Amino acid sequence: MWSNGESMLLTSVVIVLREVLEASLLVSILCAFSGMLGVSRRWVGWSLLFGLAGAIAYSFAVSIISDWFDGVGQEVVSAAMQLLIFLLLLLFAFLVVRDSGAQRMQGRLIVLVMVLMVSIAVAREGFEMLVYLYGFSAELPRFMTILAGSVIGACIGVSVGVLIYYFVSALSGRMVRIVGLGLLSLVAAGMLSQAVLLLIQADWLPSQLPLWDTSEWLSENSVTGQLLYALIGYEATPTALQAFFYFGGLLLFLVVAVFSVRQRERY
Amino acid sequence: MFFRAEKIFLHMILIFFCSAAATTARAEKPVIEIEIRDHLFWPSEVTVPANTKVKLLVFNRDPTSEEFESYELNREKVIMGNKKAVIFIGPLLPGVYPFFGEFNPDTAQGKVVVE
Repeated sequence: MWSNGESMLLTSVVIVLREVLEASLLVSILCAFSGMLGVSRRWVGWSLLFGLAGAIAYSFAVSIISDWFDGVGQEVVSAAMQLLIFLLLLLFAFLVVRDSGAQRMQGRLIVLVMVLMVSIAVAREGFEMLVYLYGFSAELPRFMTILAGSVIGACIGVSVGVLIYYFVSALSGRMVRIVGLGLLSLVAAGMLSQAVLLLIQADWLPSQLPLWDTSEWLSENSVTGQLLYALIGYEATPTALQAFFYFGGLLLFLVVAVFSVRQRERY
Repeated sequence: MFFRAEKIFLHMILIFFCSAAATTARAEKPVIEIEIRDHLFWPSEVTVPANTKVKLLVFNRDPTSEEFESYELNREKVIMGNKKAVIFIGPLLPGVYPFFGEFNPDTAQGKVVVE
């Protein structure tokens, strides 16, 4: 059995890893794109800074936000943030495919889109970590354990991101686009289905019985389940509405990518 | 003519939203209250009817924040210290659906029994 300190450490590793992983995947794929597009990676630092500021602001405002819309403000705001990231990912896909020729006219716009996406993602994920850490800040010994666990969790999350970055970057220019956009389409679909789930939780969208149950086969609680949750938005028991928006999101992403190839050919 | 069509369209939208609001207001959902005290859920086991949407009211009586989490229910919500949270669950098939406080999972454990 785990002693109390060990289990606290483990809990904090898991909590922070889960939050860091989602943002880290997004950042790593976008970084690989920056390399391909010849954009300086300075935007990452700014995004993390803005995201952190957003997370701090959100954690102070959350008590007020929670009371909005008859007590479901947190769900609505969080869903709006995910929806926004989804739309920005579509715009990103459009710009990347269209401008992948010689001209780099939209370079600034692409950077702006990336900064916005990562800032929102970091604010959303960072907020939970901050709230978690605040809770233990009064008791120093426990806080140190939690902090150590959080650092370990964050390091693992960042390492996974770095691995994915090098994996995507090692590909040739054309493949970076295909694999990178493929991964981003999964991230985007996951964002959309998560937003739908939050609106179901808020009772803004109708809830249904789950469409299927794969928890016996792959539990969301497992390490693989967590990793897949972060990468492709894996759910063991999705409802029909979630599945519809997940696959609809994937399809929309594909349509945007194909449409922008056409746009490019017109030039 | 143009304005009239626009007006009709706006009326239709208005009627749609009013009826949507009316149906949500009319459908009275069972409310279940749960408290968090000393990183424990009280009660730690609640029973809800099958195939029914239920409104969970979770009061966090601790000064520290907690996150209500359940993989089985697909629910996740941060509840700040001394605050309450509204979480809608269901409709669910009969069975046992565990939930826990993610920030204190050693102690904060509970389950929803659907029958």
